[in-house]
Amino acid sequence: MPADVAIKEERKATTATSSRRLLAGGDRRWWSVGVGLVLCALVLPPLIFLIEGAVTVEGAGGVTRFTLERFGQIVGQRGFSASAMNSTIFSVGSAVLALLLGGGVAWLVERTNTPLKSLAYFTTIISMGTPYVLYVSAWLLLLAKSGPINTWWRQFSGSSDVLINVYGQFGMILIEGLLWSPLVFLLLGATLRNFNPELEEAARMSGASAGATIRRITLRLSAPSILALAMLVFIRALEAFEVPALVGLPGRVHVLTTDIYDTMHLTMPPDLGAASSLSVLLLGVVAILLYFYGKLTRNAERFATITGKNFKPNQLDLGRWRYLGGAVLALNFILLLVLPLIILVWASLLPFYTTFSWAAYGRITADNYRHVFESSRYISLMGNTFVIALVTATAVMLLASLTGWLSVRKAPGAAMLDRLATTPLVFPGIVLGVGVMQLFLSLPIGVYGTIWIIVWAFVINYLPYGVRYSFAGMLQIHRELEEAAAVSGASQATSFRRVVMPLLSPSLIAGWLFIFLVSTRVLSLPVLLSGPSSQTMAVAMFDLWGNGQGPELAALGLLWSLGMTCIALTFHFVARRSGAGIHAQG
Amino acid sequence: MSRGFPARLIAGAALLLAMGNPLAHAADAAMIEAAKKEGRVVWYTTQILNQFARPAAEAFERKYGVKVDVIRADSNEVALRILNESRAGHVLADVFDGTAAVASLKKANLVMQWTPDSAKRLPAGSVDADNYWVGTNLYVLTPGFNTDLVPRGTEPKTYADLLSPKWKGKIVWNTAPSPSAAGGFVGVVLTDMGPEKGMAYLRDLARQNIAGLQVAARQVLDQVIAGEYAIALNIFNNHAVISAAKGAPSAWIPMNPSMAVLSVISVTKDPPHPSAGKLLVDFLVSEEGQKIYRDADYMPMDPAVAAKDPSLRPDGEKFRAITFTPEQIEANMPAWAGVYQQLFR
Repeated sequence: MPADVAIKEERKATTATSSRRLLAGGDRRWWSVGVGLVLCALVLPPLIFLIEGAVTVEGAGGVTRFTLERFGQIVGQRGFSASAMNSTIFSVGSAVLALLLGGGVAWLVERTNTPLKSLAYFTTIISMGTPYVLYVSAWLLLLAKSGPINTWWRQFSGSSDVLINVYGQFGMILIEGLLWSPLVFLLLGATLRNFNPELEEAARMSGASAGATIRRITLRLSAPSILALAMLVFIRALEAFEVPALVGLPGRVHVLTTDIYDTMHLTMPPDLGAASSLSVLLLGVVAILLYFYGKLTRNAERFATITGKNFKPNQLDLGRWRYLGGAVLALNFILLLVLPLIILVWASLLPFYTTFSWAAYGRITADNYRHVFESSRYISLMGNTFVIALVTATAVMLLASLTGWLSVRKAPGAAMLDRLATTPLVFPGIVLGVGVMQLFLSLPIGVYGTIWIIVWAFVINYLPYGVRYSFAGMLQIHRELEEAAAVSGASQATSFRRVVMPLLSPSLIAGWLFIFLVSTRVLSLPVLLSGPSSQTMAVAMFDLWGNGQGPELAALGLLWSLGMTCIALTFHFVARRSGAGIHAQG
Repeated sequence: MSRGFPARLIAGAALLLAMGNPLAHAADAAMIEAAKKEGRVVWYTTQILNQFARPAAEAFERKYGVKVDVIRADSNEVALRILNESRAGHVLADVFDGTAAVASLKKANLVMQWTPDSAKRLPAGSVDADNYWVGTNLYVLTPGFNTDLVPRGTEPKTYADLLSPKWKGKIVWNTAPSPSAAGGFVGVVLTDMGPEKGMAYLRDLARQNIAGLQVAARQVLDQVIAGEYAIALNIFNNHAVISAAKGAPSAWIPMNPSMAVLSVISVTKDPPHPSAGKLLVDFLVSEEGQKIYRDADYMPMDPAVAAKDPSLRPDGEKFRAITFTPEQIEANMPAWAGVYQQLFR
């Protein structure tokens, strides 16, 4: 019975308490203090800036005074409740879609004998390396009123109407959900791969059906990871601006972020107070969510699935259903990769974008690619972008693995560490950017205008993702392994390095890759922080986009994604040979 | 609002030509010497990098051997950066440009009162009365349309035409409170028709279900070219011409009146490289600099440097425009954007 197994796990946890004392003492506290200080230095300055901005206004004569009126303004804004409702529906919808799609694919790939698994990895790796602005515009091009789908529908049906109206809540959820599903796949995949199958086997042997096993064992044991992910996507969708602005607004669907944008840009320069107030409200919502999340994961041992015993993750035989599974993976591949790729290749070959037609076919040219290759500027941008991404990913995962370890093992101040590392989730890009900018402008060191200020901001921005990766991995590693190390005389540092890090490495490597890839494509921070010699690829792409050079952007973006894919694949194979990493099964 | 500005501009040009243009002379030697000693200049620009900012910087470097560090951002971010830099005690920018940023920075006492010699040959109205800024080029904002969806000749030619039921749901604009968006369009209508008639017109227009986008004006036009919408209300008219030259189905409408906005350039109050900063502004305003604007398909301020397509520029007779200065935009935009919020969202 599953209940018996859970009890067994509980018992294991209680016998562990005696040896916990071995670990709780002396040097662990110093670890916590050290990591805590680093996190404070990273997170607090923008946080202070955020709260200060939210509750003060600059009055006449440059005197700042305390006020809560901004919150009143936000809540009292025309259509606030409608926008809040839209935001909620959008965020819940995106989180559910991303979890269903990404989670479904993760389960099929990691825990069943579905064919075509490598397709899922291939899809994910490429989509992670694709610049965000490129992805959103690809789906918009596909689903637009004048896009191929609606055009063919009109030709086929003779109707003058559209089959799909992408501008609205449906389109927003679809695109945002698709954007996040690769992250869910990567994160949940790491959890499922390291799943100790003995609980599932016990359930099956006790006569539970496959469905019941999934429902009562697999899903329950993965619950903390799934919830953590749902929260992540929910919060990010709540803060998302691009998709609501590009997809929602033309259909008159207003959300909180687009409202704030309106308010913020009424004055010149933008009134960051409005953005800060929204973030502080969000901080409140997130604090509440984190509180419940903390309660859920309080007894982390119950979910530990990597124990000192040997195990091989087993795979569920789906029988004939495995072809359906294969079809789902193929569909995922087509949706996330093939369709956007086709439309982008098409766009990159045109002097200006129009949908598929014979007339447009005659205009096909390689000029856009030639421009990209002829421009020497892109070389230095590439260098900057790589250095930033490498340093960011490495720094974040180092910090995240320590934070995850200390907080899951309930070191002194664990809850605080976790909260600090998760706080950056509430910073909208522009607020974080301005906070970091002010910090370095007021320090007497020459970081402003170099790539290091971007790295600093990125480390803050991606810390929560890194921590989610390491947290999800850490939850599964049972304490008894470290206790064994401690009993055998290993120090905390040795035990962390020799026991925890290797077991955690699949999650850490997946996290590293994720952060490396996204920090090459994120825009809002470099736009504000890059100096004359620290421009990045994303900034160049933004310039092209804003300048009506969509086709050249498509060409540059495709070449860039190709390069990123090569890097990611190399990484993937190296990781596979070393026995760690995000390798496909078999 | 200075109506009939282009007419005055032409009159000024004629006058200057008659005088043999005695005021235009090169930057003085002392300034060049000092700039070379400073070695570099930091320019915060709103101009598109590969179209204008980079070629201009390269030309300046070639001429004076002073390195230009270009940072490109939108008007809002330029203002934000400089304000924050000054709060932290060191402004890094020497020179900045844009359509409205200067107004708020002037209030914060962050702009130098200085006009280059080369600006003296520019027509009246293109230099700030208090010497805070110099106009470098003119943006003209008009409606644009897709010539595949709306055959030439059938496009709306007047403000009243835009209210025709056949355009319902087919018009798009940018909703940002910027001159090149809903805010600017509302401003022109209210200024031209007066508050009462203007509001009545805008109320009727709101019934056309205008689609709103929060993107740059250029991308609004791109959506029209792609066929998502038939008409864009407020685009830079030179963009329509640039795209049409590539074969895109785009054209602009000389609506009367349209809006003209000055793009202006300034030196910061206490710049790290004062001489190099001044030299750069002087260069961009000089005939040589103005030709770079022309070559990038912009409309130069210099009457001696005609735009590539002169019909883009309002002549004040067949094609009229209301010109807004940075100060007017800054002062009125909140009210105009408020009208948009009230009627259209």
